[in-house]
Amino acid sequence: MYVDPRWVIVVLGSAAAFGSLSPLVYARRFSFFAASLPHSALLSVTLGYVLSLSAGGHPAAWAVALSLPPSALLIYFLHSGVSVDSATSAFVSFSVAGSVAAMYYVLTNYPARVSLWSYILGDPLLAGWDDALLVVAVAVPTCALAAYTYMEEMSIGLDAESAAASGVRVRLHDYLLALLLTVVAVSLLKAVGFTIEHVVMLLPGAIAARLARSARAFFALSLASSLASGAAGLALSLMVNLAPAAAIGFVLLAIYVASLLAGGGR
Amino acid sequence: MRGESPSIEVDHLSFAYSGEDLVVRDTSLSIEGPGLVTMLGPNGSGKTTFFKLLLGILRPLSGRVLLNGEDVTGNPLRASVHASYVPQLSAVRRDLPMTAAEAVESALPRRLRSRSRALEALEMVGAADLADRRLSAMSGGQLQRVMIARALARGTPIVLMDEPFSGIDPRGREGIAELVEELARTRLIVLSTHDPVLTLSRSKLVVIFNRGVRAVGRPQDVYKLELLREAYGPGVLLIEKCLHVVG
Repeated sequence: MYVDPRWVIVVLGSAAAFGSLSPLVYARRFSFFAASLPHSALLSVTLGYVLSLSAGGHPAAWAVALSLPPSALLIYFLHSGVSVDSATSAFVSFSVAGSVAAMYYVLTNYPARVSLWSYILGDPLLAGWDDALLVVAVAVPTCALAAYTYMEEMSIGLDAESAAASGVRVRLHDYLLALLLTVVAVSLLKAVGFTIEHVVMLLPGAIAARLARSARAFFALSLASSLASGAAGLALSLMVNLAPAAAIGFVLLAIYVASLLAGGGR
Repeated sequence: MRGESPSIEVDHLSFAYSGEDLVVRDTSLSIEGPGLVTMLGPNGSGKTTFFKLLLGILRPLSGRVLLNGEDVTGNPLRASVHASYVPQLSAVRRDLPMTAAEAVESALPRRLRSRSRALEALEMVGAADLADRRLSAMSGGQLQRVMIARALARGTPIVLMDEPFSGIDPRGREGIAELVEELARTRLIVLSTHDPVLTLSRSKLVVIFNRGVRAVGRPQDVYKLELLREAYGPGVLLIEKCLHVVG
């Protein structure tokens, strides 16, 4: 069985990025945001593709630049007192409608050099060296930043007011986490696909929360389960000719069910 | 900083979350430590909001907050040098995978963050044996001690405790009250409670609060029927004999 190093880099790099962010999503109760991000990412990637063809520049750079303002605006509305349900509904509605319109426009007006299907289903097996480099360029700082801010995020998750009273800039951390999740979601959309992206962002943290007996174990287990599902999912997809993103999703689900049955950590 | 005595000064403070419904109405207060100050007030009277104003987490519509003589109005970073906060237990996320030591560590500034410092703080509250226990595996009383340790670890001279007896069994409450009394020997501790019996005899001052300070003074001067009815309404009864479950 041939295994291209680019596939391994893309899958494990993505797994590392998502696995390091997932415990923060769980701790900060950002699952509403993480679950809606793939919609925004799809819109940004599609528009980024259009702008790169018409104005030049790298499509990924355009995508990231376009994705940040809506995410920042969502956090701003939440800080201004808009309810989570209302703000998320507006965010998702805008992203969904916008991405459908953008995809229709691209598919009918531009001869696509890369199929949009790879962004919807995710296909790391189509990754070139530039894709692998992008994943590494995103994953390494993401893991580092997630680890560096981890205890502050856990402190906020435990109780935001006592964290603020201890000198943590809670609002700044809200923006930082939201924007980091956005950059990762947009940059790695091609690797994992729109359909499965929220799964890889949410499940590792949920798995680790059931098993971990400490905050440090929580982070380590989330990362480990994400990397394990990435590696096992890639191997499974090659062995049985299954879409890699699907295989990764199934492996993550199996690990989650196993953690439920183990009943550990609680 | 005014000498070495911790102090809280509030000058004509007013606050509303929205519109004109003032949650704190033109309130002034001046208290100096060390010692224990008990704050009484019904639900929805603005006690937690008042604490957040003292901590700079909320910015008032008007007025100033001074901690140890420094203006910290609307500035949580500046306030954090002087005061720490123990939240209501109901607000604490117990399901988070975190040990007691980590809960304390996470409240420390990065340059001071260490397990040994966390253990010192847990030792202060008699919870060193809980250091590696997960928060979800603790009783209410145990968790409250950890949250107090979390506030103490930062070494601030002022500690605000928001209903520290809520959700704790009677024996646990007595233990917390004894702990707070001990800590108040060297710090200014302001706590809000619905159960003044535990802290009245231990307090140097009582503040009666309902959308502002209604009365402040020594327990024997302030804990009176007419003043309490002013804050709580007519539902305050004077009963000659009452039953307490102490464990």
